Amino acid sequence: MTLKAKRLFIAVIVVQIVFLLGIVGYREAILINGQTAVLQTVPVDPRDLFKGEHVILRYEISTLGDAAINPVGKRYRLIGDIDEGDTVYVRVPTSENFDQGWLVAQTVKPPSDADLFIKGRVTSSKDNIITVEYGIGQYFVPEGRGLEIEQADDVKVRVRINRSGVAAIEELIVDDEVWQP
Amino acid sequence: MANIQQPAETTEIIEPGDAAQTDSRHNWLKGRINQWRESGLISDEQSEAIIKFEELPEAPFRLGTRFNRLVVVLSTLGAILIGAGIISFVAANWQGLPAIAKLVLLIGGQTATYWAAYQLQFVRGFPKVGGAVMFTGAAWFGANVFLVAQSYHLSTNNPDLMIWWFLGILPLAYLARSKAITVMAVGIFTIGISWKTAGIGENTESAFMVMGSLLLIATALYATGMLHLRRDNLKFHAGPYLVTGALLAIGVVYVLTFDEFFRDSRQGSVREIAALSGSYIAIGVIISGITIAAVVAAARNTVTSGATTFVSKYAESGAIALVIGFGWFAAALPFNSPTPYVIVFNLLLIFLIFSTIILGIVNKREALVNVGIIFFVIDLSTRYIELTVDMLDTSLAFIVGGILLLGVGYGMERARRKLLQQFGMTEAVNHDS
Repeated sequence: MTLKAKRLFIAVIVVQIVFLLGIVGYREAILINGQTAVLQTVPVDPRDLFKGEHVILRYEISTLGDAAINPVGKRYRLIGDIDEGDTVYVRVPTSENFDQGWLVAQTVKPPSDADLFIKGRVTSSKDNIITVEYGIGQYFVPEGRGLEIEQADDVKVRVRINRSGVAAIEELIVDDEVWQP
Repeated sequence: MANIQQPAETTEIIEPGDAAQTDSRHNWLKGRINQWRESGLISDEQSEAIIKFEELPEAPFRLGTRFNRLVVVLSTLGAILIGAGIISFVAANWQGLPAIAKLVLLIGGQTATYWAAYQLQFVRGFPKVGGAVMFTGAAWFGANVFLVAQSYHLSTNNPDLMIWWFLGILPLAYLARSKAITVMAVGIFTIGISWKTAGIGENTESAFMVMGSLLLIATALYATGMLHLRRDNLKFHAGPYLVTGALLAIGVVYVLTFDEFFRDSRQGSVREIAALSGSYIAIGVIISGITIAAVVAAARNTVTSGATTFVSKYAESGAIALVIGFGWFAAALPFNSPTPYVIVFNLLLIFLIFSTIILGIVNKREALVNVGIIFFVIDLSTRYIELTVDMLDTSLAFIVGGILLLGVGYGMERARRKLLQQFGMTEAVNHDS
């Protein structure tokens, strides 16, 4: 291996490490600096349990639109044309804004001083109903502990959201208690 | 690490694929020596002395080749077992480990693996073992990408993670001159990009856009392989691109030969090219453009002579252009009835199968010949089942089919050996089995 190739070899390994540390740093920054929100999940589908290693979390704000069936989802007004594959910014429902009328989901990035928005990707759009993926749909648990979450009556997820709308799961609240892995 | 030695092993190793080349070089040398002797340039004694000097050490060479393979297999298995053990230990105790311990174990383990690989491959003179450890390091990086994503509850059903893995290890394949890592990188890329493409949409219409896109990706992979062949220092890495491109193209076209696919998916709707999403068209145009430019560049620089000129220079490029055209055809779906598609894609499949076999023979690429032959047998079996399912009694159809397959298999095996012999490649035949 020539000296140049050796340097490139070291550079590739350094880039790999920087990439991994980059993911760690980015997610830690969201968890430290992000704004907190608590999201309600709809009952976890037992078929989505994958060998007890992780649970699938579906949020009330996963399905939005005038005619959507879940209580929070149908309170959303979709602003503009929202198509499959679009990035969408969804106002996060809180106890403060729950009774203040319509919440919005839009493709235009809201200004930084706006209310708390969460960024997602539209996975389907039909008849003015959209399904949104926020990148927080999986929660990894120790082997065999998934059933506790599946059988709980009430599951909430505390997330941290940064100014760009990217969310990271901080912890699960199962039956009003913070779930300890 | 200041003193980098060239490994002693490298000069002695003759890869199995090079054996035929070495034999033919030896025959050429014998012929020349005879000519020199006949023309009086050298004496009979000198001629015999040169031939004896250049004689191939038959038994040690064969033993060396087999021994090298054994070393590679054992080293790779050992390295993978150690890596898998550490990663599964970390994964199993994930929640119980402090964050810093996880990072140290994952990133430290990966770095240590690369360091060991470098030492073995480039400093200590054990390229085979070092190559196997390097392969483990590349696999370890992929595992780390997924484990770090998992630790932050990021979705691991994400093709982007595979693309990142591919980007991380691709340069390693070239720097470490590792075919195993090239195969891994191209394989990961193909799975990741196909997965990502499949996410274009979940409705029935988008299935054709996915198929069309996969055909374009297949041509891009093959063209990348062609470009590699034009540079002496990159030739070594061309195979995985060529074979994966051919496999993907023929595989996708095979799926498109079934009328049920068109009937079920189209549900009678007419799809116009205008209905395709603008961004997908733009990406498709860019991929097609780059692929055609690469193929033209590769064909222009081809230095060939004699009968292989046409095939090497134009047929390969023509086949790629044809697949690109059919990629767009599959995505646009201009006809309303499934029949034209079934006819067209069946013809294309036959064309691609025979093109792959012919190109494999002309360019002396055994893997391409094998891909063509495997799909020939698959296609033949499929059509046989389609034809006989309504015509013959099930048991009779199985018996006749079995006899036909055995006959075809025997004929194909004979033809395959003959082809390999024709382009100077030999393979070990185990008479014990």
